Amino acid sequence: MRRGNSSPTLLPVSDEWPLALPLAALFVVCFVAPFFVLLALSLHADADMMTFSAAQYAKFFGDAFNLSILWSTLWLAVRATLVCLVFGYPIAWVCSRAPARWQSALVFVVVLPILTSVVVRTFAWIVILGREGVMNDVLRALRIVDEPVPLLFTETGVIAVLAQVQMPLMVLPLFATLSRIDPNLGDASAALGAGAWRTFFRVTLPLSAPGLVAGCILVFSACATAFVTQTLIGGARLVYMPLHIYQQAIGANNWPFAATISVVFTVAVMIVLYALNRAGRMSKAYGDDR
Amino acid sequence: MASHVSRRQILAAGAGLFAMLPFRAHAQSKTLVVATFPGTWNEAHRNLLAPYFKKRTGASVTQSIQLATEQLAKLEAAKGGRAPFDVAILDEPQVYDAAKQGLIDEYPVAKSPNFKDLFPAYQDKWGPKISLQVIGIGYNPKKIKTPPKSYDDLLNPAYKGRVGLTALNSQLGMAFLAELNRIKGGSETNFDPGFTALKALLPNVGAVAANLGAYATLWQQEQVDIAPYNFNFVQTLKAKGVPVEFVVPETGLVGWTTSLHLTRNAVEPDLAVAYIDSHLAADMQSEMEKPPYDIIPTNSKVPLSPAIVDTVARTPADLSKIRGFDWTKINPQRTALIERFNREIKL
Repeated sequence: MRRGNSSPTLLPVSDEWPLALPLAALFVVCFVAPFFVLLALSLHADADMMTFSAAQYAKFFGDAFNLSILWSTLWLAVRATLVCLVFGYPIAWVCSRAPARWQSALVFVVVLPILTSVVVRTFAWIVILGREGVMNDVLRALRIVDEPVPLLFTETGVIAVLAQVQMPLMVLPLFATLSRIDPNLGDASAALGAGAWRTFFRVTLPLSAPGLVAGCILVFSACATAFVTQTLIGGARLVYMPLHIYQQAIGANNWPFAATISVVFTVAVMIVLYALNRAGRMSKAYGDDR
Repeated sequence: MASHVSRRQILAAGAGLFAMLPFRAHAQSKTLVVATFPGTWNEAHRNLLAPYFKKRTGASVTQSIQLATEQLAKLEAAKGGRAPFDVAILDEPQVYDAAKQGLIDEYPVAKSPNFKDLFPAYQDKWGPKISLQVIGIGYNPKKIKTPPKSYDDLLNPAYKGRVGLTALNSQLGMAFLAELNRIKGGSETNFDPGFTALKALLPNVGAVAANLGAYATLWQQEQVDIAPYNFNFVQTLKAKGVPVEFVVPETGLVGWTTSLHLTRNAVEPDLAVAYIDSHLAADMQSEMEKPPYDIIPTNSKVPLSPAIVDTVARTPADLSKIRGFDWTKINPQRTALIERFNREIKL
């Protein structure tokens, strides 16, 4: 913002906007255009793609099986996001309040999982969650259970793995916002008589809302669409939307229906993200009002 | 409302966008892109066939590991342009579809000196059969002391949570369902008995792998102790020290042929044929037949290995007696079967 008069509430339009053109072009070629191809595909009535109609959408919404898959996918992602939030917020807080020399080490530890491929990480979780896996060995050694408990191919297992795999996406944005909060605000709140929880809910939490919303958006969309983790840990009996699309496109070779599921799924995820964004703005407004 | 926008045109629009990206750069020495199956196949192809082929032609091989159904989908998507890989590996059911959809070319027999050495039954005009895959029951001898005798043993309540299955996108899953269906009185046109049997089996099923690659891991982790499995996949796992044995059920083995194909609009068609021909060579098939791959040969000059003689077939004539299915009848129902399977097994 070279021009001093630009207000933070307005878009910072300046002469630099052409810098965004290459990315915009890439976005149009690699996302917008294929999305329209997908949309066109989904509007065909039959697998041979001879007739245009909305029949595939009628088929999707007319069948409780499809709707239950859509619902369970969104619900799965919501729960995994909440787990990320509950475990990620304290980590981000600790990172942001740590002495500078510790901070980079902590952030490195948080980022460490991303340095390994998601496929490798997920296969490692098969070893951990399996019937003869590390987790069951520990539970049995501690005499918490006698028989191995099923963890692999359960929704609990999928949520746990998704939360671990996507945790950095939650911690990093939270860390960024939390470390920008002036520590004096907390002291001021305490000096004015607020307890630790009151300070957290009335000061810290609203101020960290942008990072929180960004983290939730990233984690939610990553969890909802995590084909590898969902299929390897969940198996074929827990059908989520990505596997449903894969099976229709590849196994059944029914591209119009696969495209329909994809479009519906994309729209559903976007609606959730929009709602998250709105919630974030409202909480920001709440924070600004105080 | 009828339209004249065909599948081809829509895909061409998509393909055109992708064509701008340099997916297949040409290196100085030639590279052949081939499809291979996960498991035993990609290992045997990488460790034996690729070096053999390199010695013969000087070209190197890039593997693309995918199931037959995935290959068809990719070839269909690339139709009209250059093929994403030059050699396809298909199981019997997909060959009919690939030929019908124009995804593979007829095999140029004249350019393939080893072709004539195959048993006549394996000399298919769409591409030579490179092996026969058979399924029976795999089990973990550490956990299951009495070897199973039939598929009914999978229903034993003692195996609750120990039985594994794979989804129907793999030929293993599809062939097992078809066999279960046949045993229970169904036919290629009536899968009701098969699905009834599957439902009865579900309480014992601890894992339905969505991915064939993950299936092997489940055995290694002893998550699955008993399940329908391919003969050579069991042999490969066994060689790695995984506790697993293969038994032929009382109802017999079920098998299907596996073949290599020259894809339509292949980038390196001559190299592709040389690669396929290498797979047919007697010395190559003798190598592949040895443990840990135990790939059943189709070349008439290759004697059957002891492991194959012990378990699968005493003579090549026995191989031709292994039961198959009429895939031309089952293929049209594939979509419906997959859908029904998903509904029945969903938790």
